[in-house]
Amino acid sequence: MPDVNITVDGKKLAVPAGTLLIEACKSVGIEVPSFCYYPGLSLQGACRMCLVKIEKMPKLQTACTTVVTEGMVVSTEIDEVRQARKAMLELLLANHPLDCPVCDAGGECELQDMTFSYGAAESKLIDIKNHKDEQQWSPVVYFDRPRCIMCYRCVRICGEGMDVWALGTANRGSAQLIMPNHSDYLECEECGMCIDICPVGALTSGAYRYKTRPWEMKHVGTVCTHCADGCKTTLGVRRSPTGMQIVRGDNRDKSGINGDFLCIKGRYAFDFASHDHRIQQPLIRREGRHVPASYDQAYEHIALRLKEIREQHGGHAIGVIGSTRTSNEESYLLQKFARLLLGTNNIDHHRTADFPSFAGALARKKDATASMRDVFNAPAILLIGNDPTEQHPLLAWQIRNNVRLHRARLYVVNSSPIKLRRQAASFTQIPAGSEPQLAAFLAGDDSAANALASGEITREALAALRDKLRGEPNLIIIFGSELRGSSIDSLVRFGAAISGAKFVCLGDYANSRGAADMGLYPDLLPGYVPVGSGARFHEEWGAPVPTEPGMNLLQMVDAAKAGRLKALYIVGANPVARYNLDPFALSKTFIVAHDMFLTETALLAEVILPAANAYEKSGTFTNTCGDLQLLKKAGDITTVKSDFEMLLRVADRLGFDLRQLVPFRQAERADLGQSRGAQSGEADRHAIWLEAHGLEPKLSPFDPIAMLDEIQRLVPGYDVSRVELLAGNDQHTSIEAGVASSIASQPELILPANDTLFTSGTLGRYSRTLNSVIENPRRAPADKADREVVV
Amino acid sequence: MAVIKDIAAIAKGMSITLKEMFSPTVVENYPDGPGPLKGAKFQERFRGVHVLQRDENGLEKCVACFLCAAACPSNCIYIEAAENTTEQRISGAERYAQVYNIDYNRCIFCGYCVEACPTDAITHGHGFEIASLNATSLVYRKEQMLAPLPAHLGSNAVFNQAETETGTPAVRS
Amino acid sequence: MRFSDSFESRFTSMLGHYPTKRSVLVPTLLYMQDELGYLTDEAIRDIAQRLELTELEVRNVISYYSMLTTRPRGKYNVQVCRNISCMLCGADDVIAHLKKRLGIAHKGTTADGMFSFEEVECIGACSWAPAMQVNYDFHEKLTPENAEKVLDEYRRKGSQ
Repeated sequence: MPDVNITVDGKKLAVPAGTLLIEACKSVGIEVPSFCYYPGLSLQGACRMCLVKIEKMPKLQTACTTVVTEGMVVSTEIDEVRQARKAMLELLLANHPLDCPVCDAGGECELQDMTFSYGAAESKLIDIKNHKDEQQWSPVVYFDRPRCIMCYRCVRICGEGMDVWALGTANRGSAQLIMPNHSDYLECEECGMCIDICPVGALTSGAYRYKTRPWEMKHVGTVCTHCADGCKTTLGVRRSPTGMQIVRGDNRDKSGINGDFLCIKGRYAFDFASHDHRIQQPLIRREGRHVPASYDQAYEHIALRLKEIREQHGGHAIGVIGSTRTSNEESYLLQKFARLLLGTNNIDHHRTADFPSFAGALARKKDATASMRDVFNAPAILLIGNDPTEQHPLLAWQIRNNVRLHRARLYVVNSSPIKLRRQAASFTQIPAGSEPQLAAFLAGDDSAANALASGEITREALAALRDKLRGEPNLIIIFGSELRGSSIDSLVRFGAAISGAKFVCLGDYANSRGAADMGLYPDLLPGYVPVGSGARFHEEWGAPVPTEPGMNLLQMVDAAKAGRLKALYIVGANPVARYNLDPFALSKTFIVAHDMFLTETALLAEVILPAANAYEKSGTFTNTCGDLQLLKKAGDITTVKSDFEMLLRVADRLGFDLRQLVPFRQAERADLGQSRGAQSGEADRHAIWLEAHGLEPKLSPFDPIAMLDEIQRLVPGYDVSRVELLAGNDQHTSIEAGVASSIASQPELILPANDTLFTSGTLGRYSRTLNSVIENPRRAPADKADREVVV
Repeated sequence: MAVIKDIAAIAKGMSITLKEMFSPTVVENYPDGPGPLKGAKFQERFRGVHVLQRDENGLEKCVACFLCAAACPSNCIYIEAAENTTEQRISGAERYAQVYNIDYNRCIFCGYCVEACPTDAITHGHGFEIASLNATSLVYRKEQMLAPLPAHLGSNAVFNQAETETGTPAVRS
Repeated sequence: MRFSDSFESRFTSMLGHYPTKRSVLVPTLLYMQDELGYLTDEAIRDIAQRLELTELEVRNVISYYSMLTTRPRGKYNVQVCRNISCMLCGADDVIAHLKKRLGIAHKGTTADGMFSFEEVECIGACSWAPAMQVNYDFHEKLTPENAEKVLDEYRRKGSQ
């Protein structure tokens, strides 16, 4: 369609036909105030704040519901309009309590801003304001009725955006109010979108309630540490006796891949960080009991034992288990630590998706993976397995809103009637466990349809679905961990016939993809390079590393049981609970654990080091789509250290040259200062330690950016723009395996997390908010005292 | 003539002296004067150590909105907010200041906090004897600045009651 | 939930009249109310299911319209207009009188369940003010006396 020419306040502009007047004005920097208008939601026209004068129209018009037409002449700054806005504000404020000093929204309230601009705080009404007591709808949602201005934003975001439809409006006129689905409490996904979108303080957060004020906090945009979608969350951080305390999470600035979306975990489940049970100092087991020790004692103890075992039994008697929640730099360092320093390939992690097979199937294919942003813009999406609404909330949001706003066609194939079928153009229910047959069928094996067809799903229907999918250019194919090994090959073969088809493989934890990419595998180096053909790495690392594949996680446990594995170094993982291991199998093994809590695994350790979580360190995370994002440190907790630092300290005690582990001062790229600024602060903090050890304090080995340098040099697909990354933007990495055929992915080791919206592996247990909502099956009573202890 | 002129001049001078002999003293007799203020006199608008006011029910007026801290040019006010409960009601509104510290090492008595306060909770009192050899004792806690409970509400209400009500020193020299 | 055949056939035919299902909500609620006297929780659940809406949405619509109710009402719902025309022609007296006679206030129901009383805004009978509506029937040019007669008539009909 041709552009439409309009004039706004004397400025001539051409905007695409169909643009809303309010957006057209915004595009030339003219702000038309509004409350009810919100980009991406349906139009409401409820607040009447955006009234503007349009020539030849008898009365003022709402800019948010008026579509531009050719030759339209608009005035937004004339007295008539200003007067109308002031009058509207006066009406909105008619029953508003104006309790800004108490209200949590004070300082970031749109109504407050408008009142400052137009000055209508004094009402002409003499009636006493109609007070209603505040209601608690759920542990996280509070509703203060008199503050509400009936803009319907919460109702729309909950219904249209989240597809939950838990909020509605009851009554009419001055008695109208927002109502939760159970009349006095909410049962929903508890995402808190309604709170963040509320332009006033009518809906406030239970977690942040009366804690502080927006200008008193430091706001740090980092990546959520729960599921694998990699939402950006802006943490509000306050100083506290322990160093810092996170008081809220949101993404009001709409930065990052998630826009303003966050689920309950991103918005509230940071509270595990201030849980009482957090380990505050290193613990060493002496005579069967864990006793507190200093960091130096712990490092010394670990180094002594590891050295002893390595010398007596060799590297293959040591195993290493990495984490799905540590940064890429830490995972990379850990595998380097294992291979180079301990001399073992016995390294593994909790696998939640078959990334090696995925990488193998996509070998030498360019642009074959979709980013999280692509999912929002694709014309068609095929979803096989998984339940994104529960396990990948952002992915579900992207799909839902792509269907709603761009009319994408969604094809869902699943063994259970997942919620996303409501958005689907076609939903095919197949028997549980038959996803591999589906992949084979899609790839052209008609005989596989036998296992799929049942009831309404006939062979013809399946064939029709396949034909339809083949005719969908730029299709994004998203699959869960149900597809492994050769099934992924089949699916990729199917996708190869569709022009522009892209793939997403769904892992489960915040950095599951990163852990896989960084080579936490017994047989794979970073970038899915088989251990036997890692010449590049050997050259860079300057020392030979074992070329024989090591033991995987279960083999390590077996070896430990048999007494062959003498030591196990576990960083941020809980394999005992996850794989339901027999704790006695590990009783003869020397175990070191980096952890935040005394988990089932940590309890078995001889030395436990208190670890910082992802909110307390810098680095990068790769989400399940392969989007690389910068992790920014919200602040330091005085009693814990990052896994990165602790690993290096142990390496130092083992007498290893740190330069060989972390290529600091060899950086090829400029790091633009960000890595050493106030944000990261590593260099300053460790300057004294470095001086004492005769090292150059300018760029510290504890600076993860130095490690990122090496990752970007050596790991295929990670060669993304550093400037963009440091600026906080997501960068899509491609997944590519050097040698496709030699990968033995061992799909039987994959154990999906099966988390819901309200659980998050071991971490979820320690979030009071997650456990307090009624939707959580593991709910603990959320009385007030409990809430106050949380943050 | 010169003699008369001199006598006239002396007489004029002495008349002033004599007149002043019978008029009240201007010099303040601080710190040897009577009363709790030890002879010090204040303009009502004098900005001394802050007083955190209470409302007519004896509840704290401060709702921990942090506006004083935001307005403070020397960044000397530290607040921690908390929520009132039905069992324990501290302020009139939903929230109150659990911790309210003013660091008098930094305070410049500019009065911006008083101007910023939406509930008239913080006011400048007339306290000025805060000099100390120990800087840490200059960080005043809420309890040190809080106005006493009104006489009809508590036993502790004798001290400076009149001053609290009128905003002026109770005793004038 | 089981409704009369005439309701079911009306409901089915209405479904075809509108582009979206939820459009039939308001008329359906009215018919349901006519059958049941008021909108029971069960009826709300039922209609929500039929029209693929949430119960919340149905309740929101009900709360918007003053003619829909979720509480039991008397057999005869007496609605007296108090809007300007009626007020000027003496509706206040009629209202005061009827309230006294029935012994109930605005939105009240008599103990025997015969009458509910409501003051309402304009019912579109200004030409014959003051007016009232009893269920679906209009009674015009009221005075306290003839209004009472109307009610007596209903009471007689109702107790048969």
